[in-house]
Amino acid sequence: MNRKVYLFALLLTLIAAASISAKVFYGGHAVSQEYSRHLWRINITMRIKGKGSRAKVRLTLPKNTERQTIYNEHFENDEMVFYVRERPDTNRIGFWRSELLESSKTLQYTFSAQLKSLVYDLPQNLELVADPFKTFPVDFHRWLEPSEFIQSKDRSIKRHFKKVIGRERKTAVVIRKIFDFVRGEVHYKTERRSKDAKETLKKLVANCGGQARLFCALSRAAGIPSRLAGGIILTAGVKNITHVWVENYVGGRWIPFDVVNNHYALIPNHYLELYRGDYYLFKYVGLSKFEYFFLIDVENMPPVDNRWSLYALPIHFQAFAKVLLLIPVGAFVVAFFRSVVGVPTYGTFGPILLALAFQEISIGVGFFFLSAVVFTGWTLRKILDHLKILVIPRLAIILTMVVISVLVMMVVGSYFGQKNILYISLFPMIIITWTIERFSVTQIEDGTPVAFQTSLGTMAVAAAAYYVMRIHAVRIYLFAFPEILLMIMAVLLILGRYTGIRIFELWRFREFNRLKGKTSL
Amino acid sequence: MICFNPRKKYGLLGMNQRNGWYTLIKNPRKLYPLVDDKLKTKQLLEANQLPSPELYFSINFNFELKFMREIKFLKEFVIKPARGAEGRGILVLVDKVGNKWKKAGGALLSMEDIEYHVSNVLAGLYSLGGLDDQAFIEYRVRSHVIFRPVAFQGVPDIRVIMYRGVPLMCMLRLPTKESDGRANLHQGAVGTGLDMLEGVTLGGVHHSLLIDKHPDTQMPIAGIRIPFWKNILETAVKTFDVFKLGYIGIDFVIDQILGPLILELNARPGLSIQLANREGLLPRLQIVDSFGPGIEELPWKKRLEISREMLHKVKG
Repeated sequence: MNRKVYLFALLLTLIAAASISAKVFYGGHAVSQEYSRHLWRINITMRIKGKGSRAKVRLTLPKNTERQTIYNEHFENDEMVFYVRERPDTNRIGFWRSELLESSKTLQYTFSAQLKSLVYDLPQNLELVADPFKTFPVDFHRWLEPSEFIQSKDRSIKRHFKKVIGRERKTAVVIRKIFDFVRGEVHYKTERRSKDAKETLKKLVANCGGQARLFCALSRAAGIPSRLAGGIILTAGVKNITHVWVENYVGGRWIPFDVVNNHYALIPNHYLELYRGDYYLFKYVGLSKFEYFFLIDVENMPPVDNRWSLYALPIHFQAFAKVLLLIPVGAFVVAFFRSVVGVPTYGTFGPILLALAFQEISIGVGFFFLSAVVFTGWTLRKILDHLKILVIPRLAIILTMVVISVLVMMVVGSYFGQKNILYISLFPMIIITWTIERFSVTQIEDGTPVAFQTSLGTMAVAAAAYYVMRIHAVRIYLFAFPEILLMIMAVLLILGRYTGIRIFELWRFREFNRLKGKTSL
Repeated sequence: MICFNPRKKYGLLGMNQRNGWYTLIKNPRKLYPLVDDKLKTKQLLEANQLPSPELYFSINFNFELKFMREIKFLKEFVIKPARGAEGRGILVLVDKVGNKWKKAGGALLSMEDIEYHVSNVLAGLYSLGGLDDQAFIEYRVRSHVIFRPVAFQGVPDIRVIMYRGVPLMCMLRLPTKESDGRANLHQGAVGTGLDMLEGVTLGGVHHSLLIDKHPDTQMPIAGIRIPFWKNILETAVKTFDVFKLGYIGIDFVIDQILGPLILELNARPGLSIQLANREGLLPRLQIVDSFGPGIEELPWKKRLEISREMLHKVKG
């Protein structure tokens, strides 16, 4: 019997291992050989507070380009309406909106990015074009015309342009001269608001935005299509500073220039591009407070380029798949606790569902609600016992009363301004109220102490499952290699033939030790 | 205080091993309903001339509740759910006082109260998994006088664990105040190990603590000689020929008038019997297995001999 089980477990493990290694070596899960590859995990958190009117927040989202790959995206929308607008040739924009927003919300956007550094060669012989509006197609005109903050046709800009460039016609030299001029003349100073190009030229003191605009204006004055690019310079930790640099269209490609950090025709591997053009990263209406920060960390899983993997799913289905993948993990934890440790729980699925519910509301709130619900159910049962009511209607009454008490809690919380109590979504609430049924049934069958013990056991196992499910590596690797589920099954098979003593049984049979000295045995 | 390998040291059988090696393999799934449904068990026992408390009548559906009026002719009886586990839902009525019946604990119940209890039974309140259930009304067993000093209110019962048709280990279960007259160790009854050769009680266990005296009556529980002991073992061995379950617990009661009766069978007998006997089950299981295959087919007398031989081996 055991040999068959072990063989089967081994077979499952081998299949999983073969599939994983096939994926790693041939299936697009390969770690690219790029030397200057960098992996980052970035979290953008926005804390907003509404004014009691319609509210809207927009954030430009990073796009995949030749040097950056965005993957494992995850949105936490705090129950606001969320959608992504994706059109070719513009920025990708995420919108959050709410018809009536009064309270505080926390919006989060988490993603991983694989970045490369790129060094460009400027074609040395290329000359400036005489009539750029005719040479470049219509799409490029917006990168040539002056704009609100990049006044490339302004008199002072033109005058300086003549002074800097003179009669030079070689594009590479012109860009170098503009770069050296801005770098040499304008001093860096952090500012609350970036200056426009004209202002920068007048004051000669500016932050990255002002310097980039000036560089961009001078380039456009020279007839080179030029645009701003914005993003974050990635360093592990928390920050809220964005960065702006310029891209010039030379010889058929966009070449980056960062005046402030002296990156000439190159982009380092810790520059994350979030948007192109003279935009703001965030825009919002109807808010009384808006705070944001970036939480940047190192990622350890490379992006996957495999049509036959879970990564190929649309992004919101990915979130769903991630939750599904956690269920077997939870089941494994429960199986371990039940058959190796011997903790009593309400079934196998109960603790898993509770752990999933805890993922949505925090574990503290979950425990509070669970205790409140169990306590209400317990007191109610004591009262109902006197009325001699049939079991199933009695359970229904208890369930109804629990729902009523949850509603009362919500109304009371809202009256006292504790609005966060309202944001508990339906799923965790249902699961928590469901435990009352199991509680009552156990109470009838095995008595109140056992019911409380089992509740405690369920809570403890649910907490353990919750913490295992929260491990970042577990989520990431399961999603990348769902074959791990086969391995979990293999371990469960072996656990299914585990015939050792449960840890709780050591306690139950502890009295055996007292007999050691006695001869009556 | 805690030994970390009690399996090796005392031959302790754990829950996992019992489920994985014994109940799962020796007890075919299709035979479970015979044991889980006490009504079926009782019918099968009666059909095979094995002693059990007499069945008065059963109530299978809610509309049959009106037949409950029959009980007004009864002075004492027991109401049981057919699929109740661990002694749940058993109502023992010991006397009739006017229009009411007296419970074992002394409380008086009216006809309405009893009907409510039966309808709860039918709704599956006490059944395994909450399925709809049947209730039946049977003869109330009156405990043998010898147990009077060590039993509180209820009827003590004798559990015989049978492995492949061979009596393996026995214990006497004594109800306590805490267990509310029920002889179930989980509910606080006392378990007492038995010397199977003599039928004499050894020390006891109460809530996984070893004890020498009954917690309510304070009488010593060791040294009681079980009446009809040979008879009990013989009946147990014969019962195996009817219920072909390889690992089973048979619960006997000893009635004042009728002698030993089979109360119920349990396909998942508990493990506390090891504490009560101060001995692990594993060595005995291994000795029985060492007699080789085909033990199940032997005549009952032969199997009793194997049991005796096994006991001598364990002792020696």
